[in-house]
Amino acid sequence: MTRYVMVADLRRCVGCQTCTAACKEGNNTPPGVQWRRVLDLERGTYPDVSRVFVPVGCQHCAEPPCLEVCPSTATRKRADGIVTIDEDLCIGCSYCLMACPYDARFLIERREYAFGDTPTAAEAARARRHTAGVASKCTFCVGRIDAGTARGKVPGRDPEATPLCVNSCISGALRFGDIDDPTSPVATLLAENQWFRMHEEEGTNPGFYYVWDKGAL
Amino acid sequence: MANATQAASTRSVPSYCYNCVAGPDLMRVRVENGVATRIDPCHEAASVHPGLGRVCVKAFGLVQKTYNPHRVLTPMKRTNPRKGRDEDPRFVPISWDEALDTIAARLKAIRETGLLDAAGLPRVAATFGHGGTPQSYMGTFPAFLSAWGPIDYSFGSGQGVKCVHSEHLYGEFWHRGFTVCADTVHTRYIISCGTNTEVSGGVCAVRRHADARIRGVKRVQVEPHLSPTGACSAEWVPIRPKTDPAFLLALVHTLLFEHPRSALDVPFLRERTASPYLVGEDGYYLRDPETAKPLVWDTMRGSAVAFDAPGASPALEGRFTVADAITVGPDWERRLQRDAPARTGFTAMADALRDATPDWAAGICDIPATTIRRIAAEFLDHACIGETIEIDGEVLPFRPVAVTLGKTVNNGWGAYECCWARTMLATLVGALEVPGGTLGTTVRLNRPHENRLLSVRPGEDGFMASSFNPTDRANWQAQPSGRNAHRTLVPIVGNSPWAQALGPTHLAWMFSREAPAEWTPPPLPEVWFAFRTNPAISFWDTAEIGRAMARMPFVVAFAYTHDETNHMADILLPDATDLESTQLIRIGGTKFIEQHWDHRGFALRAAAVAPQGEARDFTWISTELARRTGLLERYNAALNRGAAGVPLKTDAYDFSLATDRAHDVDTIWNAVCQAGSAELSDGAEIHDLAWFRDHGHCVVPFRREDWYLYPTMVRLGLRFELPYQERLLRVGAELGRRLHEQGIHWWDSQLDEYVAIPQWHDVPGRWKQAVRDAGADPDAYPFWGITTKTMPYTTGNNAGIPLMNEVGANLRGHGSVILNAATAARLGISPGDWVEVRSPVGATHGRAEPVQGCRPDTVVIPGQFDHWKTPVARDLAFPSLNTVVPLSLRLTDATGSGADVVRVALRRIPAPRRARAREAAA
Repeated sequence: MTRYVMVADLRRCVGCQTCTAACKEGNNTPPGVQWRRVLDLERGTYPDVSRVFVPVGCQHCAEPPCLEVCPSTATRKRADGIVTIDEDLCIGCSYCLMACPYDARFLIERREYAFGDTPTAAEAARARRHTAGVASKCTFCVGRIDAGTARGKVPGRDPEATPLCVNSCISGALRFGDIDDPTSPVATLLAENQWFRMHEEEGTNPGFYYVWDKGAL
Repeated sequence: MANATQAASTRSVPSYCYNCVAGPDLMRVRVENGVATRIDPCHEAASVHPGLGRVCVKAFGLVQKTYNPHRVLTPMKRTNPRKGRDEDPRFVPISWDEALDTIAARLKAIRETGLLDAAGLPRVAATFGHGGTPQSYMGTFPAFLSAWGPIDYSFGSGQGVKCVHSEHLYGEFWHRGFTVCADTVHTRYIISCGTNTEVSGGVCAVRRHADARIRGVKRVQVEPHLSPTGACSAEWVPIRPKTDPAFLLALVHTLLFEHPRSALDVPFLRERTASPYLVGEDGYYLRDPETAKPLVWDTMRGSAVAFDAPGASPALEGRFTVADAITVGPDWERRLQRDAPARTGFTAMADALRDATPDWAAGICDIPATTIRRIAAEFLDHACIGETIEIDGEVLPFRPVAVTLGKTVNNGWGAYECCWARTMLATLVGALEVPGGTLGTTVRLNRPHENRLLSVRPGEDGFMASSFNPTDRANWQAQPSGRNAHRTLVPIVGNSPWAQALGPTHLAWMFSREAPAEWTPPPLPEVWFAFRTNPAISFWDTAEIGRAMARMPFVVAFAYTHDETNHMADILLPDATDLESTQLIRIGGTKFIEQHWDHRGFALRAAAVAPQGEARDFTWISTELARRTGLLERYNAALNRGAAGVPLKTDAYDFSLATDRAHDVDTIWNAVCQAGSAELSDGAEIHDLAWFRDHGHCVVPFRREDWYLYPTMVRLGLRFELPYQERLLRVGAELGRRLHEQGIHWWDSQLDEYVAIPQWHDVPGRWKQAVRDAGADPDAYPFWGITTKTMPYTTGNNAGIPLMNEVGANLRGHGSVILNAATAARLGISPGDWVEVRSPVGATHGRAEPVQGCRPDTVVIPGQFDHWKTPVARDLAFPSLNTVVPLSLRLTDATGSGADVVRVALRRIPAPRRARAREAAA
């Protein structure tokens, strides 16, 4: 089997938001919609303070709460673990937004553009147009994965088959690949380091791992 | 069929991003049906680019930058002759012909009158923005500037304040380090005083440090607030602002007095530094009476001998009596010294720092003495004294400890002490310019820029040659050649092409309004060019800078959008921006910040899309200006000499351009591409513009050994000019004499900085005194106001790009006033409340963001905002420290730099009207 997962090595992440910007530009998401973003968390009391940067987004759960509540079957889970939304089926009910414990889903209520109501040439030119009134979220750049693997490329190894956020990450914090392949870089990274997943207690079995060796965030 | 059409109309165009000094980084531009839609990393460069062919967040704003609907897309002229913030310029579109002819007429009139005015100052001035990066976007404009002749570059856009100014000058003097960094790929321990590597170090530094963290490096971040770099460090030490000199001097003290000499690299100190040089009682080196060579105490002979005497075994430290010597004081006054008491430079250092104990520093820095001692001990523990490493087949010392300094630590008063102490910490353990240690990256005050090692030439006294501005009576430049008087006031900055812009650039602005009594106010330039710069936002006391700018008689601004600086312009010229124009630049080798490559070569920024509107390629603009000004032949000759980055004709190749005609953009860059590739391959492999458009870059290997200066010093038998600063002592004394001979005393406090061994003086007290000087009570301004950067903005650019604001908002404090949570509670300030940050100069307003990671006595305002004209940015209603930092001679150090620090008051206020209106609209 194949299960694609994302790994964020928090020892590396510097909070630069390059992944956020690359995702927004590559997926042409409207202002305010950030399928990938990096949280800036602080813990402690002066002067004993720590600050950690935590990339977040859809966790592509094995047991996705969003899927359970979707009345239109727009949300689905593929065999390779990627959770998708069929915009043609989505009715914009927002149940999934409420169900997601990761705050990873967005309802695009109306078309907005970077500079206001009129799209720039770049925004207008993009093949991908987000439908107003439907839910959206990180897709793990599923189109790139499918197109890349169709050409024999390996997600996480070959940029052509790898999510844009991972390709853009300047610190090497974001990694991607098939966790079920023990030789994959993500499997190796997780095998050799301490890691956690967010809200595991929810029983979601998320496909997003955080490498971290400095205790609770 | 549709898919085939789409695929056929999609291209990926090679380019680079050089929007900050940490670049250049390589990228690709995805173009769909002639429209740039996405920035991609340049994955095929992963094996040559230290950042694996990736670009940072800023590059992802370039698509929005290109299609920003607020762009200026036609040449424009001002129709309202009155200038000022409150004056509508009444710009109207004009043709390129009218714009260029108008400028050319002005320029030709100047040439007929004379290139210099009655005061001997250039009649034409130019200001370019951030750290020389505009040069990678101005095409062949350098050829035009070269063809023109003298240009005044002394009107700064923030340099001296926003850069690491003192490091530029002292770093290059001591070890050819215009910027200085850790050898991150080898180091194991870094003391980072405010170096915000994870924000402003660029792609290469971020990757190197991330790898180092995984490898187990320990970085101690010493800074008043917890930056992203502090967040990614092993330890945060919240130091009181502007007390870093005390901290660093105490570290030096600890190494000297609390650890055995065997913990230091004694052979390095003895053989590669001036530590053994004997210092006389008058403070100058004791020298051989015949040769004037500095003397050392030969422990074998028991007498003083010249420093380079064969077979000598110099004493590192001690006090001696020298029978017969001379000293050479200011103006080369030779003083005979008989039976002269002497001590080594090392001993002079120890004497000067005897009282700089950790316990003393603790009270100044608000850092426990135990912490200072522990850090010093850790530094020594990691220094690996005596170990070696093989680099490129050469065995070199391995000293994996480094000390880095950030902005503000490195600027203004206290920076000399910090630079010296940092360099001495490295020197004491032999970690200067060796693997693992503290390294320079590039040179700008010396040449060649491409390889700093080649800039090293033997100079006086066993040191590298330095190019100080003369201070002797015969050659000192009493009459400035530029409006910031860099050659007159700042000897160490020299007079290279970069030197003027590294002088005290705020003086040009200040003196245009009011000069000191003994100083003739410099007349304003008759034409001022501005490109990729917005001093009306990015300098101190921005209101005053704006007023000074409004007095400029004729301003030509290359304009992307309307902004606060080009609001004062007479002509706006829309240049084709990053993705729309063509230029070849050098990449690789060692460059600013942490660009240490194993390759060197060239990269092309190919025009990925057609320019928007009437915007034109800068090379076309430059050629037309040259042609219309009657400078075409000189312009082409400058191109042939290498003004576009590569000589077009050498003994090995000839791609020179005919000088009697105007060449189009592609013809020029085709010649440059061929010359560049010929230079790389000694003529064996020639790549033209078409090849570079396909392949993007071309590189050859660069020796890793050339990252380090140490082997060159050994090969040339040279010593680092440390610890004792005899040259600076002499130069300062001479400068004082020259100025006083002219009746000038307003630079006297700066003269105090010329000491042989830097010691603590009340650095923070200078800022409190500045409040008193402004007629205010220091107690009314109880906080330190400082600033910091965020990667989406880094410097002042990108402020009008919505994507940067959106992603920047994920970072705490974006667009806000960061303050300590307990302080906020004490003042009744809640998160999101509007606060006023006020100095005696003025006030700025923003929302409060209380955090734990900030000293209680400090407020932090990220970025450079407070825009009132730039579209998008003007609606942000973000605060800016620049608004409240005074332009101040008193706060200017001897190098001409100041610091982004100001004493401020803080209070909660109702939401300002502008903010209320914005929120209502939202």
